[in-house]
Amino acid sequence: MEIESVVTFCRALRERGLSVTPAEVVTAATVLQVIDTSDRDEVFLSLRSVLTTSVDDFPVFEELFETFWNRSPRKLVERDSGTTLRARNISQAKGLAFFLEHWSASVRAGAEPVKVPGASDTDSRAQKDFTDFSHEELEQISQLARRIVKRLASKPSRRWQPVARGHRVNLRRSLRLSLKTGGELIDLAYRRRRAKRTKLVVICDVSGSMDMYSRLLLQFVYGLQNSFAKVESFVFATTLSRITGELKNKTYRRALDRLASNVQGWSGGTRIGASLANFNAQWLRRIDKRTVIIILSDGWDTGEPKQLTHALSKLKERAGRVVWLNPLLGNSTYQPLTRGMQAALPFINVFAPAHDLASLRALEPHLVL
Amino acid sequence: MRHIQQMLERQVYIADAGIATALYLSMALGKPLLVEGPAGVGKTEIAKALANALDTKLIRLQCYEGLDATTALYEWNYPKQLLHLKLEESSPASEAEKEAAIFGEAFLLKRPLLQAITEHDRAPVLLIDEIDRSDEEFEAFLLEVLSDFQVTIPEIGTIKATHRPHVVLTSNRSRDLSDALRRRCLYHWIDYPSLDKELEIVRAKVPAIDKVLSQRLTRVMQATRTMGLSKIPGVAETLDWANALVALQATELNDEIMAETIGCFLKDEADIATFKSAQIATD
Repeated sequence: MEIESVVTFCRALRERGLSVTPAEVVTAATVLQVIDTSDRDEVFLSLRSVLTTSVDDFPVFEELFETFWNRSPRKLVERDSGTTLRARNISQAKGLAFFLEHWSASVRAGAEPVKVPGASDTDSRAQKDFTDFSHEELEQISQLARRIVKRLASKPSRRWQPVARGHRVNLRRSLRLSLKTGGELIDLAYRRRRAKRTKLVVICDVSGSMDMYSRLLLQFVYGLQNSFAKVESFVFATTLSRITGELKNKTYRRALDRLASNVQGWSGGTRIGASLANFNAQWLRRIDKRTVIIILSDGWDTGEPKQLTHALSKLKERAGRVVWLNPLLGNSTYQPLTRGMQAALPFINVFAPAHDLASLRALEPHLVL
Repeated sequence: MRHIQQMLERQVYIADAGIATALYLSMALGKPLLVEGPAGVGKTEIAKALANALDTKLIRLQCYEGLDATTALYEWNYPKQLLHLKLEESSPASEAEKEAAIFGEAFLLKRPLLQAITEHDRAPVLLIDEIDRSDEEFEAFLLEVLSDFQVTIPEIGTIKATHRPHVVLTSNRSRDLSDALRRRCLYHWIDYPSLDKELEIVRAKVPAIDKVLSQRLTRVMQATRTMGLSKIPGVAETLDWANALVALQATELNDEIMAETIGCFLKDEADIATFKSAQIATD
């Protein structure tokens, strides 16, 4: 087995999206000197452990190794310069966007993701079917949610808290402790910065116009909910319901089952103003300056804009920050011209898109107070 | 390579060619081995079996959130230093001498990483367990230690490894590890074992078990993993269950025995309910 063919193989892997660095190419070449290169399995297993960095890489590796082993380097090069393969690869790499396209296509065939039917007053009691959801996508979203939550929880406050082990000596306590040993400092006490606790309130629009995003966003809310104690979540279409309890479930599937059976008016029309007023009436007391409010909605409102203005101004007064996530903002031609959105804009601290994983990722800094 | 496989088998660890290859390369190239896979498939066992097979020390660093350099590498034994100073208070030694004395190796608390580097006799196996549970900062720190196997302690100087330890890292994929760390390591993925392999493991680890029973038990376990439970039982659970059955002197899996021992492999009430309804469906 010549070095050239290993290099070609590595190049082919790189073309297919694996991160194979020159250092790994060198390692791969070294490996071939210490193993029996006539044994297919041995070569396969050895190169796999050097050239892959995750189990996700295995399928591509296996596929290319087959070509590589059958010693048709020409074929290999042909394949990786082929545009069809690369095109498929790119669409796979897009991940969430790709998935969203497919999902929206299956939900309403032929519809453009941005052409959203207008909000309406129909209060449909349709049960949503949550079954066909790519597992990987879900996992990515939950991972992101966990990361955000971790950042929220690890922001240091200015206050101190005594701890058993740490880096900073708690002088006061240590001196106090030293009285036990006749004024000799033997045992040290420590302290550290208290973690700042940000509370999150997520209010998610699940009306018909948000249909294709709400499942995705709910996964995000679920992720937040289950890694952070202080998250309250609500959904609304025409009426508001609290879903904190429903989401506190071990698996997303089970949480969704409970949601589908307990929440009414799924995919119906939208009354944002009324729903937020409803929220204020019941929950405003619990909101303080350490609370970040996240509203996920496209702003298609069939209610009075005045009601929305009123509700939001009250909310903003009490909350630390109001973040409005609008999936439509992902489209560059979108302008927040709907009456609802116009009424809401003056009372929002952060107005951001939420149509794919990247936009959710960009959200991270906004959530930290 | 076959040699390694045999060596591991002698440790009652059922290795497949993949694990043996990965371990062989890790030793031949002196690179750390990163093992990923679901919980309870025997990732940690690899390091234990390797240490036994090489007849060397196993040094284990269990990672957790908030693990930092002092708990992983070294720490000064502060109370001992203080007491020493107290005792030496009336001695004629100069201040500089006293300081040199208390920052000597006798006052150094060696944590796992430093232990692994300063092991004198032969290269130990360093197991860094559940690296995904540590913070990103710790991962970066670890990267530094794993690349040169040397540690600088300001008061003493640089300590270089006499023998490069064999490093095995495990991860449950609860978070993404950095690319830099992944690239520095050889990679191996362990999945749940096939029926035959699991049967082999059960018979090797629980030799007292009845042949027919072990077959039924592994079949149930294999089926259980496809039920979409929230906590999928691993090989460790299979072995627990097998041991429980042996202890109860069970000869078959009837309803009574199942009810008594189901807690060995299902640890969640909702899962038990799912399992039971699935069982009724198949009956």
